Amino acid sequence: MNHIPDTVNLSRMHPVGEPDKPILRLEAIRKKFGEHVVLDDVNISLKSGEVVAIIGPSGSGKSTLLRCVNMLGPATSGRVVIGDLVIDEAVPPTAQQLTQLRRSVGMVFQSFNLFPHMSVLRNVSLPQERVLGRSRKDANKRSLELLARVGLEDKADQYPARCSGGQQQRIAIARALALEPQIMLFDEPTSALDPELGLEVLAVMQELARSGMTMLVVTHEMNFAETVSDRVIIMADGKIIEEGASREVIRNPTSDRAKRFLKAVKDR
Amino acid sequence: MIHGVALGIPWTLAVTAAAFLIGAALGLPLCAMRMSKLPPLRFIGLAYIILFRSIPPLLLVFFFFFGLGSGFLPISAFQGAVLGLGLITAANMAEIYRGALSAIHFGQWDASEALALPSYSTYIDIIAPQLIRVSLPSAASYAVGLLKESAIASTIGVTDISFNANYIAKSTYQGLTVFGIAALFYIMISLPIAALARFADQKLRARVAL
Amino acid sequence: MSDIAAFWLDSLPQLLAGLSISLQVTGAALAIGFPLGLLLALGVQSKVKAVKLPSLCLVEIGRGAPALVVLQFAYFGLPQGGLTLSAFAAAVFALAWNTGAYTSEIIRAGLESVPFGEIEAASAMGMLPRDTLRFVIIPQGLRVAAPALLGFAVAVLQATSLCFAIALPELTSNAYMIGTITFRYMEILSLAGILYAAICVPATIAVGVLEQRLGKHAL
Ligand SMILES: Nc1ncnc2c1ncn2[C@@H]1O[C@H](COP(=O)(O)OP(=O)(O)O)[C@@H](O)[C@H]1O
Ligand SMILES: [Mg+2]
Repeated sequence: MNHIPDTVNLSRMHPVGEPDKPILRLEAIRKKFGEHVVLDDVNISLKSGEVVAIIGPSGSGKSTLLRCVNMLGPATSGRVVIGDLVIDEAVPPTAQQLTQLRRSVGMVFQSFNLFPHMSVLRNVSLPQERVLGRSRKDANKRSLELLARVGLEDKADQYPARCSGGQQQRIAIARALALEPQIMLFDEPTSALDPELGLEVLAVMQELARSGMTMLVVTHEMNFAETVSDRVIIMADGKIIEEGASREVIRNPTSDRAKRFLKAVKDR
Repeated sequence: MIHGVALGIPWTLAVTAAAFLIGAALGLPLCAMRMSKLPPLRFIGLAYIILFRSIPPLLLVFFFFFGLGSGFLPISAFQGAVLGLGLITAANMAEIYRGALSAIHFGQWDASEALALPSYSTYIDIIAPQLIRVSLPSAASYAVGLLKESAIASTIGVTDISFNANYIAKSTYQGLTVFGIAALFYIMISLPIAALARFADQKLRARVAL
Repeated sequence: MSDIAAFWLDSLPQLLAGLSISLQVTGAALAIGFPLGLLLALGVQSKVKAVKLPSLCLVEIGRGAPALVVLQFAYFGLPQGGLTLSAFAAAVFALAWNTGAYTSEIIRAGLESVPFGEIEAASAMGMLPRDTLRFVIIPQGLRVAAPALLGFAVAVLQATSLCFAIALPELTSNAYMIGTITFRYMEILSLAGILYAAICVPATIAVGVLEQRLGKHAL
């Protein structure tokens, strides 16, 4: 059983919208690759500060769904609503909409995707300079704060290849936070890591959750799903087959498909 | 005799370097065309690459020096050789870049997009440095090949190593020795290029580990 | 326009005669160069110093020196050593050496791509090392090397244009000759370019197709 170390930082560091109004809404998301339907009418709504875990068998469309949220791979139809930004997936967005969307939504990938030819500090500073227009000095100052937050300020001058996988993923989280997003997407952030290194990443994510960040997390870590996230969504074959309070969904699933999946995970 | 042949070294280096720089620079937009989403651009890129790889460099150099040079556009032997070899190098460098691009992990594009980097920044800050780093070994071995190819400049009168060797051989009837010396010069120049490339490659690899 | 067409039509026979010589040189250089390449590939890997060192020398000089210099060496240089070659023979000599040196590397890479397990399996079945080489390693190695060898054949045809320097009347030389007489370099060199392209473009495309097919089978 994974143990996630406790952190003391409970202050809400991230902006909170109106409590009842959702901060992110995915409406009727459909996606086809050719004839193959990968996402079939997916609807998800996240309140500000909410942490939602998406679990489900591989190939069920979890990554595809996350990529629809920030338009890395637009859906065939559906809408993404973030505050007053409304994106119709079927219509190419304007450059300005796209930038606004991606500034609002940070993303962390399974394979980290750090820029290998830049120091850790440059990795975190570059988007601030190019997207937010910060000066090199201001960007570096902010980057060091973020690296401190993920416990890696001493790695600032290293190259990513010199860091462990867990450290690289924490750097990737710091980099995504540098644009001050309202929502963070995680696509199996610990799947490429040894369990021990995965723990240090999960600890950073837990701290982020406690600080009030809104998070949508695709994961295989049942412990994280159950204890850190507020809600769990189970997907299979491009559909949401079960969702609700984390403990409820994981302990007492109702559908047969969800039971089968959870049994398979527990027996592993 | 050695001295006479050696007098051509600066010209050999100048033709090689100038043609390589032209080709390395032109190769980038050519590669972009070759991989463009727009079919007409892609076709032009592909056609250029296949055509310039199918015509003998000597013929192309003749085309510019004698063809263009005969009344259309006065052009020096050096310019003709550099233009001909440079345009061929562009075709080959475009293919080298294309190979290198496929070696860059798609996650680099994903991350750049997710971080809202403007496309100029994605190309200049993220892709180009990795592209140069990945293409370095192939580009270096191409440069060594180009060094030898540059000998054709002698046929239109650029006074490079090969030109001087030819001249001395004809006036001394000691072709065996003279051309042996010339061959040795080419081999000796290519050694440091290869060594430099290896050094740069290792240095970058130690830091970056792509 | 029709003026150019008439000029091209007039010059075509002479260019085709040149192309024929280019192709003959290419054919002869490949016929000698490919087997030489195989021998050199094996020779470089030989444990016998007396075989290995000369092989290595031939490969390194053949790859390190410009083909043009080797060509001039053969035509203008060898007479100093008492051996006078015709322009055609000198061209074949130089390009075959060039081909042997380059293809030895291509063939060596091909031979090395044969999985060690197959070699072990062959000897486990009691095959002699010589037969393993002949029936297992060389056929497979050559198959892997085939696209690169075809690619090199295209390069040799292009390299025959260097024979301009030793006054062999091949395609480029003939085009140049017509140019000096008519002073219509642009048109005649273009026609020569079209003739080269007519052979090299399909061959280059074929190399690409061959590479792709081989890649599929290998996986
Ligand atoms: N680029 C693509 N082209 C075609 N099919 C794809 C592509 N990407 C994903 N798929 C398909 O979409 C389905 C969902 O994939 P994915 O979202 O990666 O699932 P998950 O992340 O839940 O494992 C799979 O069946 C996969 O084969
Ligand atoms: Mg996935």
